[in-house]
Amino acid sequence: MVRVVGGVTLAALAAGLVMGFGVAPREATQGNVQRIMYLHVPSVWVAYLAFAVVLAASIAYLARRAEAADRLAHASAEVGVLFTGLTIATGSIWGKPTWGTWWTWDARLTSVSILFVMYLGYLLLRGMIEDRERGARYAAVLGIVAAFNIPLVHFSVYWWRTLHQPPSLMKPGPGTMPGIIVAALLVNFVAFSLLYVYFVAKRVGLLRREAEAAL
Amino acid sequence: MADHWGFVLAAYGLAAVVLLAYWRWLVARDRELQGAARSRVAPVSGHPRSEHASRHPVQ
Repeated sequence: MVRVVGGVTLAALAAGLVMGFGVAPREATQGNVQRIMYLHVPSVWVAYLAFAVVLAASIAYLARRAEAADRLAHASAEVGVLFTGLTIATGSIWGKPTWGTWWTWDARLTSVSILFVMYLGYLLLRGMIEDRERGARYAAVLGIVAAFNIPLVHFSVYWWRTLHQPPSLMKPGPGTMPGIIVAALLVNFVAFSLLYVYFVAKRVGLLRREAEAAL
Repeated sequence: MADHWGFVLAAYGLAAVVLLAYWRWLVARDRELQGAARSRVAPVSGHPRSEHASRHPVQ
């Protein structure tokens, strides 16, 4: 099953590249550098998704002490950290030609960096505590607390004056982007979501086998 | 505005390297666990010793 998801993901990623580079037009203001958006925005979407799953799985673990929920939270946090790192790196690369700087202590950039560090801490905490049950319990609490940062990241562009632009897609009201750009972005959203599912499924399987081997 | 293709390539290249490295790590860990499971199931001698016999005599 995981292999099938892997195959579909590969095809979806290829379709995303075709849409982003072949179908979507050159943006009038920014030029072709705007094509980084088809990588940057789906990455942050996957990060939000991953940390929302960590929140749900952490609550489930604390309520039922189900090891499967703990494994899902662990795997999702790992993949979320990976995609948050990618979001920061690709944003920085996009920022240099458009803003003239690799980095600025803007509310969005700062809050997303805090999000990255918090979930990195979550993974470190898991690795530091030898007693599995206790480690899982502490991690679940941190997984719930850290999730409060997600709305802060998303709404930071409205709550503070920022260099980062407000969301073009994940916002209420009618969209302002041309349909073809939205379509290219949606294909990449699907591709990255599938990649998230593939990575998490594979990582959950590994965590289960690691736990069995430790018994 | 200039196209800055170098920045586009850098962003996509970096993403490809990071995602591929993570995927390779998952595959390598998978193989490692498979190997460990196989060695647990089938001991090299073919005649597994009892726990008592496998203890060091000094113990």
